[in-house]
Amino acid sequence: MNLIRTRPLSRRTLLRGAGAALGLPWLEAMTPSVGRASQAAKSPVRMAFLYMPNGAYPETWTPKTAGRDFELTPSLEPLAALRDEVVVLSNLWNEQSKDGDGHYVKEAAILTCERIKKTQGADLRNGVSVDQMAARSAGRQTPLPSLELGVTPVAVGNDAVVGYTRVYGSHISWSTPTTPLARELNPKAVYERLFRAANGSSADEAKLDALLLDRVLADARQLRSQIGAEDKVRLDEYLAVMRSLEERIQRAGEPGANPWKPLAPINPDGAPTDHPSGHPEHVRLMLDMIAVAFQTDTTRISTFMFGNAVSNVSFRWLEGCTAGHHDVSHHQDKDDKLGEYKIINRWHVEQYAYLLERLRSMREGESTVLDNSMVLFASALADGNKHDPHKLPILLGGRGGGRVDTGQHLVYADDAPLSDVYVSMLDAFGTPVERFADSVGPIRGLLHS
Amino acid sequence: MLRARERGLVWCGALLLTAAPLAADYSLEDAQKFLTGYCQACHQGESASAGFRADDLSTIESFRSHPDDWTRLVARVSNSEMPPKGAPAPDLDAREDFLSWVEATWRQQACAADLAPPPTLIRRLNRDEYSASLRDLLDLQLDVKENLPVDGPGGEGFDNAAETLFLSPLHSEKYLETAKFVLDAASKEFKSRSLIFVARPEDGVSEREAAKKILERFLYRAFRRPVDGETIASYVNLFELARQQGRDFEPAIFFSLRSALVSPLFLFHVEPSGDDPVLRQYALASRLSYFLWGSMPDDLLLDIAAAGKMDDPDVLRMLVPRMLRDDRSLEFSTRFVEQWLRTRELEGSHAPDPELFSEYKEQAELRSDIRLQPVFFFQRQMRADASLLSFLDSDSTILTRSLVDLMGLHYEEKLSKNPEWIELPPGSNRGGLLSMPAVLAVSSYPYRTSPVLRGAWILDSILGAPPPPPPPNVPALDETQSAEEPKSVREMLTQHRANPVCASCHNRIDPLGFALENYDAIGRWRDEEAGKPVDAHGELTDGTSLDGPAGLKRALLDRNELFVRNLTKRMLGYALGRGLLPSDACAVETIVDRVQADDYHAWTLIREIVVSEPFRSVAAPAPESAAERLAEVRP
Repeated sequence: MNLIRTRPLSRRTLLRGAGAALGLPWLEAMTPSVGRASQAAKSPVRMAFLYMPNGAYPETWTPKTAGRDFELTPSLEPLAALRDEVVVLSNLWNEQSKDGDGHYVKEAAILTCERIKKTQGADLRNGVSVDQMAARSAGRQTPLPSLELGVTPVAVGNDAVVGYTRVYGSHISWSTPTTPLARELNPKAVYERLFRAANGSSADEAKLDALLLDRVLADARQLRSQIGAEDKVRLDEYLAVMRSLEERIQRAGEPGANPWKPLAPINPDGAPTDHPSGHPEHVRLMLDMIAVAFQTDTTRISTFMFGNAVSNVSFRWLEGCTAGHHDVSHHQDKDDKLGEYKIINRWHVEQYAYLLERLRSMREGESTVLDNSMVLFASALADGNKHDPHKLPILLGGRGGGRVDTGQHLVYADDAPLSDVYVSMLDAFGTPVERFADSVGPIRGLLHS
Repeated sequence: MLRARERGLVWCGALLLTAAPLAADYSLEDAQKFLTGYCQACHQGESASAGFRADDLSTIESFRSHPDDWTRLVARVSNSEMPPKGAPAPDLDAREDFLSWVEATWRQQACAADLAPPPTLIRRLNRDEYSASLRDLLDLQLDVKENLPVDGPGGEGFDNAAETLFLSPLHSEKYLETAKFVLDAASKEFKSRSLIFVARPEDGVSEREAAKKILERFLYRAFRRPVDGETIASYVNLFELARQQGRDFEPAIFFSLRSALVSPLFLFHVEPSGDDPVLRQYALASRLSYFLWGSMPDDLLLDIAAAGKMDDPDVLRMLVPRMLRDDRSLEFSTRFVEQWLRTRELEGSHAPDPELFSEYKEQAELRSDIRLQPVFFFQRQMRADASLLSFLDSDSTILTRSLVDLMGLHYEEKLSKNPEWIELPPGSNRGGLLSMPAVLAVSSYPYRTSPVLRGAWILDSILGAPPPPPPPNVPALDETQSAEEPKSVREMLTQHRANPVCASCHNRIDPLGFALENYDAIGRWRDEEAGKPVDAHGELTDGTSLDGPAGLKRALLDRNELFVRNLTKRMLGYALGRGLLPSDACAVETIVDRVQADDYHAWTLIREIVVSEPFRSVAAPAPESAAERLAEVRP
C-alpha cells in the first residue's frame, strides 16, 4: 500500500523537544494524516505477563461473589480505580504442574502448561510459553519480538534437595521446549535497548552489520557440518538468534520495506538509573519499561518476574514486614506471618495497578494503550503454605483492543484449565490457535462473543 | 556407552553423614529382595514393562554388563517415580539402604565397567569466560560481563555447564554491541594496538597483505586454534568490503576483528570432530586454560599444543603449579568457590538485612572482605599445595583489619587493610571455611540464623549428600504441635522431629546447624541470643555428640572421605563444564584414592583431574593413532 505521507513534524524536532518520554502522551501529530482515521481501529494489541512468586492467600484474595458486582477483597483493593478494566478469574489450575516439587515445576510451567522434566540441567525440557507462541507469529511486526524482564538474577547452584536446576525457577518464557529466554534485569540497559531497536542504525552501519552477520552465519554453518548431532542443537540456537537479528537489521535498514513506525518517540536522554535504590524502585522501573515498550510499539509482548521461584527477597523495607517472601508464605496459619503474607500479596497488586494506570494514561487516538493491551497477573501457587496449584490467583487487565469483557469476576467449575485463558488471549491478540498445551478450548466468558 | 541424556542419579548419593552408615550386612541378596518385591511384578521377562528388565540386574556383574539399566533404575527410585502410585512401595529407609548399596557397589565396579566418556559437547563461553577472554585477547583491563545476561547453573551446580548455556535473542544483540565497545576501547590503547597491528601497509606490503597478517595472528588467538586459509581469506574479504564502503585501513581492520568476536568460533568452546589430532591438542589447551584461568590459553599453552605435547600427562602435571601461581588463577578460585559455597548470592537475595546489620550495608570494605575471604583462602591453599582438609579446619586463615573486628579477634599489632595469611589465636573457632562470615551468612536468612538452612548447606556443599525433599503431604507444623507455643527455634524443631516423617531427615540436618549457632547471621560470635545462652549442642544419628563448631569440625574431619569425594566431583564437573555421568565414576574414585594416598595435597587433586580420562578425552580415536597422525602433520 502506498501512503502519501505528510510530515507535520519531523522526528528530529520531536526528539529535541520531547522532554521526558516516560508518560509522554501519544503524539497525534506524529501520525501520518492518511493513516490517522483508521488508527483507532488498527491500534496494535499488546500482551504482558506478570509473575508473582509464592502464591496468594485465598481468603483475602478471591472475591466472595461472582459477576459484575463482585466486591474487591483486601488483596485486590489497589485495583479499586481500575475495577472496570480488569477480570478476576477464579478456580483455574495448571494440571501439569501438580507433581514434582513445590515450586520449580509450577513456576516454569506457568506460561507453558507443560510438565517439566526433572533434571539438574542435562535434559532440560518444558513447553513453548504462550508469549513466545504469540511472538512466533507476530514478533516480526515490531523491532523487538518480545521483551523478557526480571529483577533477580538466576539463582546460584542446583537445588539438589528437590533435584531441579534453578534455571527452571528463573525463567517463564520459553521459545522452544529446551530454550528458556534470558531476562534483562537492568532498567537502564532495557531503555537503551528499546531506544536502539526503535531507531535502528544508519543505512551505512546496517550494511556493515549485515556483512558481519553473513560472515558469522557462514562460520556457524561450516562448523555445523563438522560436529555431532547433539551439538547441532546449540549451534542451531546460535543460527536462529543471529538470523533473527540479521532479519531485524535488514528490515530496519530498508525504509521502504519496513512498515513499522514508532507510535511515540523514545527520548534518548530519558534512561532510568542502572542502580535502583531497592526492590520497590527496581520493580517500578522495569514496569515502566514495559509501558515505554508498549507505548512506542517497540514490542507488543512482554513477560516480567517479580522474583524467581522460592524467592525469599526481603520485604523488611515494607511497612509491617519482618522477613523474606518465601519465609512468610509458609505462614502455618499463624497470625503474624499470615499478616505479612497478606501485606506482600497486596503490594504486588499495587504494582500491577501501577502498570495498568500507566498504560491507561497513555492515549492512543480515541483509546488508551491499556484498552489495547492484555496484562495477565499470575502466581503458580494458590496458598503458598500448601504448594497448591489449584485455584490459582489470576487477573487480566486491559481490553485487548475491545475483545476482553472486563469488569467482572469469572468463577469457573473447579479445575478449569489455565491454558484455556491462553487460547482466548492468543485469539484476542490476533494469533489464534486451536489448542494450547492441555487446553480444551477458549475460556468461557472472557471475550465478548 | 551411555548416552548423555540418560544421565544417572547415581550421583545424588543417598549416603548421608549422619544416616545409619551403609549397613555392612546389606548384601546383593537384600538388593534382590528389593527388586523382586517392588519392581519385578512389572519389569520381568520378555514382556517387561517399558522394556526394562529388573531380572537382568541379579548379579554384581550386571553393573558392568547393564550400567545404563542400573542408571535408569536409580533415577526412577531416587525420584520416587517408581514404584508407581498404587503399587507396593518401599519406605524411605528401605529406599535409601538400597540406593546406598547401589552407589557403593557402583563405586567398586566403576573402573571394571570401563565405560567410555561421553563425547564433549560444544558450549558457548559463559559471561565470565567471555569477558576474561576479551580482556586477554586485547590486553585490555575491561570487565564487560555485566553487559550480558546472567547464566544459569547446570551440571554440578556451575554456570559453565554445556547443558544450560542457552542463547537468547538478547545475547545476539549484546555480542554485537560489546564487540564494538571493546574494540573502540582497544583502538585507543597502545598495548592492544601493538597486539593487533603486527603488520602495516608500507613499501612492498600491500594493504591486503598487511590485513592478512593481522588477521592470521588475531584469528589464531581469538579462535584458540589454527585457522584454515579459506576462513582467513573470508575475513580479509570482509576487510576489503569495509574499505569499499569507504572505511579507512584501521577502521576496516577493526570491522573484520569485530566480526571475529561475534563468530561462533570465538563464542563457543569447539571440540574437534573425533579424528583431528591437531585440533584435539588445542581443545585440550583451551580446556586446561578455561579450567584454571577462566580464560583463553596464552602463547605458551598454544605453543605446547602446536608441538603436540598437550595431552602428555607429565606436561599437564608440570603445568598445574605454573598456572595456579599465575594471577589469572584468581578467576578459577572466585568462580569455583563462589558457586560451590554459593557465596555469590551475598550480592543478591542473600544479602544480610540492611537494618539489622547496618555495618554490612554501610561498610563496603567489610562487605568485600567477607566475600573475598573464602576465595583468597582457597587461592592461597591451592598455590601453596596445602592440605585440602584445611578447608574443614585450619590453624591460619585469611584476615583483614575489618574481618578481625567483625570476628572479635585480638592481635597485638593492628592488621592491614589488605588480606593477610595469619595464624589464628588458640581457641578462636575461626579455622577452615565453615566459620567464615560469608559461609555463615549465605546459609542463614538475611535476618536470622537457621539451623535447618545451615545443616542442609553442610550436607549439600560440604558432604555432597543433600537431604531429600520433604515428603508430600507432610502435615503442616500447626497440626502436630501442642497448644503451648514453642519458645525457640530449637524447641520448635524438637517438636517437628517428634513427627517420625519429619525426623528421618531433620535428625540429620538440624544437629549440624545447631553446632554453628554461636555465629549470628553475619558470622559474629555470640554467647547469648535474645538474652538466653546459646545452646550449640547437637547429636548425630550415630550418637556422636557435637559441641559447637570445634566438635562439628572434628566430626567432619573424622569423615573426611565424604568431603574429599564431594570436592572432587564438584571440581571435576567444573573442569569438564558438564554434569558427571556414571562413566565418570571410575575417574572420581581414582582421583579420591590418589588424593588420600598423597596426604590430601591440593596439587594432587588438580593434577589428577587434568590427567583423568574424562578431562583428556576429546572423543578422539585411540591415543597411539593420534600420536602417529600428529607426527605426520608436524614432523
